[in-house]
Amino acid sequence: MAKFRTPLVILLAVLLVGLVYLFIASISPERIANRAETPETPADVALLAEETRTVTLFFPREDDGLFVPETRSIPASGSIAQEAEAVLNELIKGSSKGLPSALPPEAKVGQVFVTKDGTAYADFSKDLVVAHPSGSDAETSTVFAIVDTLAFNFKSIKKVFILVDGEEKETLNGHVTLDRAFTPDFSLVAKD
Amino acid sequence: MRIIDRPNKKGGTRTAKAGIVLVAAALGALLFLCPAASAQQRTIVLDPGHGGLDVGAKGKFGAVEKDVVLAISLKLKALIESNLDYRVVLTRDKDMDVSLENRAALANNNDAAVFVSLHANGSFRKKAHGSETFFLSLNSTDEESRKLAYQENTAAGVGDRIVEDDKNLIQMILWDMAQSAYVRQSSRLAEIIQRELNVLLATENRGIKQADFKVLRGVACPAVLVEAAFISNPEEEQRLIDDAFQARVADAVFRGLSAYLRLLRRD
Ligand SMILES: [Zn+2]
Repeated sequence: MAKFRTPLVILLAVLLVGLVYLFIASISPERIANRAETPETPADVALLAEETRTVTLFFPREDDGLFVPETRSIPASGSIAQEAEAVLNELIKGSSKGLPSALPPEAKVGQVFVTKDGTAYADFSKDLVVAHPSGSDAETSTVFAIVDTLAFNFKSIKKVFILVDGEEKETLNGHVTLDRAFTPDFSLVAKD
Repeated sequence: MRIIDRPNKKGGTRTAKAGIVLVAAALGALLFLCPAASAQQRTIVLDPGHGGLDVGAKGKFGAVEKDVVLAISLKLKALIESNLDYRVVLTRDKDMDVSLENRAALANNNDAAVFVSLHANGSFRKKAHGSETFFLSLNSTDEESRKLAYQENTAAGVGDRIVEDDKNLIQMILWDMAQSAYVRQSSRLAEIIQRELNVLLATENRGIKQADFKVLRGVACPAVLVEAAFISNPEEEQRLIDDAFQARVADAVFRGLSAYLRLLRRD
C-alpha cells in the first residue's frame, strides 16, 4: 500500500496546481475588465443572449380566471432549481400586460428543490399566506399558477409541493390543501 | 449492531403487514358504520367556514366571509329544523376558531347523513362573480404514493418507536381517505344544491366542481362545499350582507338538501 501512496500524492499535487492555475487565469484582470464593460459588438450581444432562457408564465384572465401565457426571459443558469426560483420570482412580479396576478406581490421565493422522482418543493415566505386574499377561487389560482408554470417550463418537474417558510402547511388560506404535491392541471389554461 | 438490526427489520415487516390489515379492517368498519344516510341517521352537519382569527375572504366594504357564512348557516339550520325531521349540528354557532379536522370529526361523531360547508368566494380578479358547489377531488396516484411511503417506512423498521408512528400514519391515511367512499354521492348532492342556487340566487352559474378542500377530506358521509357569490366582488358583497339574500342562499341549500334526502329515502 505504502508503495502506491507517493506517486498518488504527486499526481494529486500536480492536478491541484493545474486547477489553481486555470482558476487564476479565468479571473485575470483582463477578463474582469471585459465583463464590466457594456456589450458593444454584436458578438457580445449574442453571447449575452445565449445566457438567457425564455420561459412561460401563467396569469389568470379577468373574465373567467383561465390562465393565459406570457413569456419572459430569465438567466439560464443550467440549474433547474435556480431557474425555477427565477421563474417563480417573475410570477410574483406579475403580468406585464395588466392581467391579475395569482400570487400576492409581497410573497418571496425561498428555495426550490427538485427530487429525482420529479417532485419540486417550492418554498415561499409566509407572506404568500399572510398577504393572500383567501377564498377558494384565489387559492386555486395561486396553487395552479405555481404548479402549471413550473411543470410547463421544466420537463423534469412532474408535481409540485408548496412549502411556506420551509414547512408543510395544512391549507393555503383555509381552503385548498397544501399537504400534498399537486400535479399540473392544464385544463385551467385558456384555449382561445 | 447487526444482531440488533435484524429482529427489528423482521418486526418492521410484521408491523407493515399488520398495518395494512388494520387499514383494510378499519376502512371496512368505516364503510359499515357510515352508510349513506339510512333511516336511523338524523343529523345534518352544517359548517360555517372560517371563524375566529381566520376571517376568510374579505370584501372591499369590510364584510368578511366568516360573518356572512355564519348568518347563512343559522338561517339554514332554522329552515331545516322547522321543515325536516333532521337534527342540525353546527361546527360553530358563533365567531370562533375551529380546526378543519374537528369540523370533519363532528360530522363523523354525529353519524351525519350529510355535511355542508358554507363559504363565500374570494378572488384576485375584481370581477369574479357567481356561485358554485364543490365536492372533493381525489388524487388517486397521490393516495397510492402515500400508501407506498407508509409501507416503505414500516419496512425500514427503525426500532420500537415506529409502532407509535404507525398508528398515527394509519390514522392519517384513514382520515384522508374517509371521503373517497362518498365522492359519487357527494357529486350528486353538489349537483342538486347547485341547481337550486341557480334558480334562487340569480347569480352566475359556475357549476359543480371538484377541488382538494381539506375540510371535506375526512368527512365520512356525502359532503359538499358551497361557495355562494364572491365577497371580493363589491356588487356581490352588497348582496351577501343583505338579510334577504342570505335567506335566499339558505333556502336554496335547504331545497337542495331536501331533494337529496328524498332521493336517498326512495333508494
Ligand atoms: Zn371560505
